[in-house]
Amino acid sequence: MSDTPTSNRTIKGKRPSFFDARGVDYLMHMVMVLSQELSVTRDRLNTLEHLIEDKDLIKRTDFDSYTPDQDCLEEREKNRQALIKNLFSVMDQEAAELVKNDSKERFDEVIAETAKG
Amino acid sequence: MQSEMLNTFQQSDHELLVKGDSNDIARQEFIKSLKGAIQQQMLPVITNAYYQRALPNYVSEHGKPPEDYTEARVAFEQDPLFKAYLCINRSSQELQWFSVLDPLEENIEALDKASKEIKPSGGTLALEEDFEVPKYVSSIDIHCMPGGYLGPEGAHPLHAGALYDRGVYLYAMGFMGPLNDDMGRSVVNYLKRKYPDFKPKKILDLGCTVGHSTLPYAELFPEAEVHAIDVSDSCLTYAHHRAESLGMPVHFKQANAESTDFEDNSFDLIVSHILLHETSQKAMPKIFNECHRLLKTGGLMVHADLPPFENMDAYMQLILDNETWYNNEPFWTAMRNIDQILLSEKAGFKKEDVYFDTAPMAIMEFANTDTTIPEDEPEDREFVAEEYAPGGGWEVLVAQKKSKVA
Repeated sequence: MSDTPTSNRTIKGKRPSFFDARGVDYLMHMVMVLSQELSVTRDRLNTLEHLIEDKDLIKRTDFDSYTPDQDCLEEREKNRQALIKNLFSVMDQEAAELVKNDSKERFDEVIAETAKG
Repeated sequence: MQSEMLNTFQQSDHELLVKGDSNDIARQEFIKSLKGAIQQQMLPVITNAYYQRALPNYVSEHGKPPEDYTEARVAFEQDPLFKAYLCINRSSQELQWFSVLDPLEENIEALDKASKEIKPSGGTLALEEDFEVPKYVSSIDIHCMPGGYLGPEGAHPLHAGALYDRGVYLYAMGFMGPLNDDMGRSVVNYLKRKYPDFKPKKILDLGCTVGHSTLPYAELFPEAEVHAIDVSDSCLTYAHHRAESLGMPVHFKQANAESTDFEDNSFDLIVSHILLHETSQKAMPKIFNECHRLLKTGGLMVHADLPPFENMDAYMQLILDNETWYNNEPFWTAMRNIDQILLSEKAGFKKEDVYFDTAPMAIMEFANTDTTIPEDEPEDREFVAEEYAPGGGWEVLVAQKKSKVA
């Protein structure tokens, strides 16, 4: 499983800004991440539903009567933390740019230099 | 493409392809769907906003419509729908790479092991020590791929290649074919149709990355000796193992297309696929010169890339120019303003032997024939994939070397 993001997601080159209020840029990215994770969950549930139907293992009503035990509670908390880390990845990029002192000026220089040679 | 068509393209597995577990694949599938929706649902809305409000506003202020992408950007840059489009498009690109990055790092040792167990297919890999990578490759992570073509510092030699192989499939939403080989396959089909008697014995692919476009040349010209070069040792290492895994004997070598140590007049066919727009103003003429030097008399140079800006309206130019500013593609726009016919002439080709054309997308034949691999013999059919490659095909610059240069 790679539900826990561990990779270095920094992209060399200043991330452009879109909306006048920077927070909106973050928000838009977060909405995309949330949508992606929702889509992942739906695919997984869909798999589960098919397996249940195909194998006749449990009844659909069992979902509502299930009470999580300690292991399950921990498992879920771990998953939620991972999801939140993913959600914040757009700000990790800016943090990395600050550390590397990367800038729009450097980006513009590269465009200009590359066009020349 | 009919709007009701569902894109369920799936990438073919091979021993080096890393997709990850079912959740990783679900994340990647989401990117494929999101990118499709951006093109098919969002872009028409944006286009409408441009023509309905941005254009009339610009005309009333300036007394004329925007003439090129720079003016079109002035007209449109403050539009909130345009901003949302750019913003979501950027996130889709970032999340595309991230969705592959995590499973890749988790599976890197398994990948390493798999690469060592592949049965040889007759290809070779030649890497250089202290190779000088051109600045246009190392300055910025092109198309936002974390670590770029060289991979992050200290990464496993297969890292960048594996990230690219899966990532570019998602970027193209599967339209590059199950083996990401549509550009190569389309060019081969084009050549076989246009030059039925052309039987190249020695072929060179420039800037081959993971060799995804290279392999169709080995498959469809089985008599030919196929060489491929790139500046990234990481991509080449992956390319070599990938080709061996797929049973294709290709000779990969680390070299800069601007200047190689191959002999004069040694190739019948020299090709490149989406390479030129990732080079630079100074590199491009050198690449054309090198192609002319390396070609035998009668040999062909074919560069498959996207169309130049001339004859394209200001709005279309603007949409394409976004790649420069929002997808880390520094040379994307500048390259489209270069007169490539003139560059070819300066390299020694005769003007009448150089032309632009469209190589129809082989994937559309593939889509129409279900899941069977297209046969060697190209088929005729209608081209309708306007959403992905403008005009339903890949733009090719073709030049034939008619006589040795003085």
